[in-house]
Amino acid sequence: MVDRILYVITVPMVYLAVVWLVLGVIARIVMVLRAPAHPHTLKIFPERKAAPLVALWESFTMPTVRKSKPRFWVFLMLFHAAFGALILSHLDLLPQISIMPKDSPHMLGWGAVGVAVTISVTYFLLRRFASPVREVSVPADYLLLFLLLLTVLTGDTISWGNSWSEDGFVITKQDFGTYLDGLLHFTFEDPADTLYGSHYVVVAIHIFLANLFMMVLPFSKIMHAFFTVALNRFRRV
Amino acid sequence: MDDKKKQELLDAFSEKLTNAVRLYMDGCTRCGTCIDSCHAYQSMPETRYTPVGRAQVVRRLFDRYFKLSGRIAPGMNEAVEFTDEWMQQVLDAAYSCTGCRRCMTVCPFGIDTQQIQGIAKHLVNTAGMTPVVLNMLADMSIAKAETIEDTRENFEQGVKNLEAEVIEKWKSEAGEDAIPIGAQDANVLYVALAGKHSIIPAAAVMNAAKEKWSLSYFEAVNFGAFAGNPAKTKVIARRIIDEATRLNVKEVAICECGTAYRVMKYMTGDHPFKVVSVVELFARYVKEGRIKLDKSKIEGGVTYHDPCQMARNGGIYDEPRYLLEQLTDNFVEMTPTREDNWCCGGGGGLVAMGEKDFRMKSSSVKVDQVKATGAKVLCTACENCHTQLSDLNEHYDVGVKVEFLSELLADALVSE
Ligand code: HEM
Ligand code: SF4
Ligand code: SF4
Repeated sequence: MVDRILYVITVPMVYLAVVWLVLGVIARIVMVLRAPAHPHTLKIFPERKAAPLVALWESFTMPTVRKSKPRFWVFLMLFHAAFGALILSHLDLLPQISIMPKDSPHMLGWGAVGVAVTISVTYFLLRRFASPVREVSVPADYLLLFLLLLTVLTGDTISWGNSWSEDGFVITKQDFGTYLDGLLHFTFEDPADTLYGSHYVVVAIHIFLANLFMMVLPFSKIMHAFFTVALNRFRRV
Repeated sequence: MDDKKKQELLDAFSEKLTNAVRLYMDGCTRCGTCIDSCHAYQSMPETRYTPVGRAQVVRRLFDRYFKLSGRIAPGMNEAVEFTDEWMQQVLDAAYSCTGCRRCMTVCPFGIDTQQIQGIAKHLVNTAGMTPVVLNMLADMSIAKAETIEDTRENFEQGVKNLEAEVIEKWKSEAGEDAIPIGAQDANVLYVALAGKHSIIPAAAVMNAAKEKWSLSYFEAVNFGAFAGNPAKTKVIARRIIDEATRLNVKEVAICECGTAYRVMKYMTGDHPFKVVSVVELFARYVKEGRIKLDKSKIEGGVTYHDPCQMARNGGIYDEPRYLLEQLTDNFVEMTPTREDNWCCGGGGGLVAMGEKDFRMKSSSVKVDQVKATGAKVLCTACENCHTQLSDLNEHYDVGVKVEFLSELLADALVSE
């Protein structure tokens, strides 16, 4: 029974989550694209030279936050940079991509990327429990961060637990690569066959949480990831 | 609240859902960066006076009616339905925000709270809850255009009566009207407010510059914008656009009124004439040597309050400073200044509505900012700001003289 559940989580549910994510995000973007254009300019002054570039720059470096909330900004940048690196490091597991040397047992960042996300998400969560941000937060804000925290904590456990276990790396980067490559080629093989380690169940929980994260994303405020450039353009262009 | 009314409110909400507004509804992470950027929260630290707190009042309705998640799990985003009680909160949010857009300058996404409160105002209007005085003023502006033929003579006589005061400030050339009205092919159509303070100094300056100008029959202020009524906003602006087109003027100069300037310049499409603020026009006169000013007229330090709708939302920063530099050697900037300047707390229709208690309480941060300059003269270029700053001056006993820029200019005019 448990094996079956673990299989559902690690194979069919991953496909479901990815399809759900892609369709959901497209639907949300289409809704914005189909809405009528705002009838007048929304820019603020002074006007900037090369305004579209300024908007792009502001989308990725958040200078307005750096100016008004420098500490928050440090964690924001840490989080987003690390999150980006995290996506990359997961892709790097695939045998087709090798940013880290092919035979290296480590993920990109040697586990530090996950820790950076853990620290910044913890900060976001604590911050949300403090006034005045607490008063403007809704349950979804906490749950999303909590989900993210659990996902990265299990991720940390896998990457760090691996190196702490007595016989070294039980599940290696290459093993994960085999699993992901199987997903990519729709082999529907049970990853339990390759990812044999004492903490395989932690891997499955990690994948389950990540699936959930992908599935709530289109309904959540993380849509800001797709909207921020357009939003920043309205302010500048 | 019955279903019919709910449907009406829902329809009104839908009308407001442009691409930008949808992004504003969906894009906020409730990060709280904007919280202390609002003068109202700085002065009265309550969540309902934060930009994001105000926006949530509208966003929670959006989540309920326009998002799947709001229907499946309304508790997650605290989605709410239209009720009479909730509409009371919408009213409170709409008319405690001056639409200054200071919060927009700090938000990582540039979310425009003024547009969100524009939805709130539209909902309030649909529910028949708009402050009576705003609708009344808007309707009066519209009625004036419809009955112009009946009131024309009265208006012209009223303006004639002001001419002596204009001439007192600046003697016009022989045979010329001190306040021309209805002049065809003028260079400038000057759109003033109802009130001689908005006409006399400006007339004196334009006459001194030997400008070929004409006074508009209509007042510049757009109460439709304050009432959050896009249809009325258009009709009110249309009166002036039609008049300017009929008279074939080159430029429309809007008096010292921030909202009127922004509406005409940026919110009513393209026109066959140029739109300028009278402040830009006057700065041009000085630069071209068409008027000369006496620097010794003003005593004590002078500071300038950037009206939000003219500066942050209209781009006029340098001209008033240039003019003040011609009027005094004692100019002091406020801290913070320019796009970071604190709103006076009177915009968005609050001054017209009265609301003195709230206006005074929500603007103590402005008072501190003015006091810190040590200036004796507080100059501004917007009617709303002028009224609010005068009220603050009196209420908090600040001890400055609140002046219009045009008044300072007219008093400092000198001949060659
Ligand atoms: C590129 C422009 C982006 C900007 C300007 C931006 C900005 C922000 C801001 C201001 C927060 C608020 C933190 C808080 O809620 O306290 C945030 C949180 C977050 N962002 Fe982004 N973001 C961007 C891109 C992304 C991307 C690409 C992702 C990837 C999925 C992402 C995922 C998240 C997550 C998961 C949070 C935590 C949500 C929370 O705090 O509740 N962001 N972002
Ligand atoms: S700063 Fe912007 S994103 Fe953050 S809470 Fe305010 S409006 Fe929302
Ligand atoms: S627009 Fe101005 S008054 Fe309104 S919430 Fe933002 S800072 Fe406050």
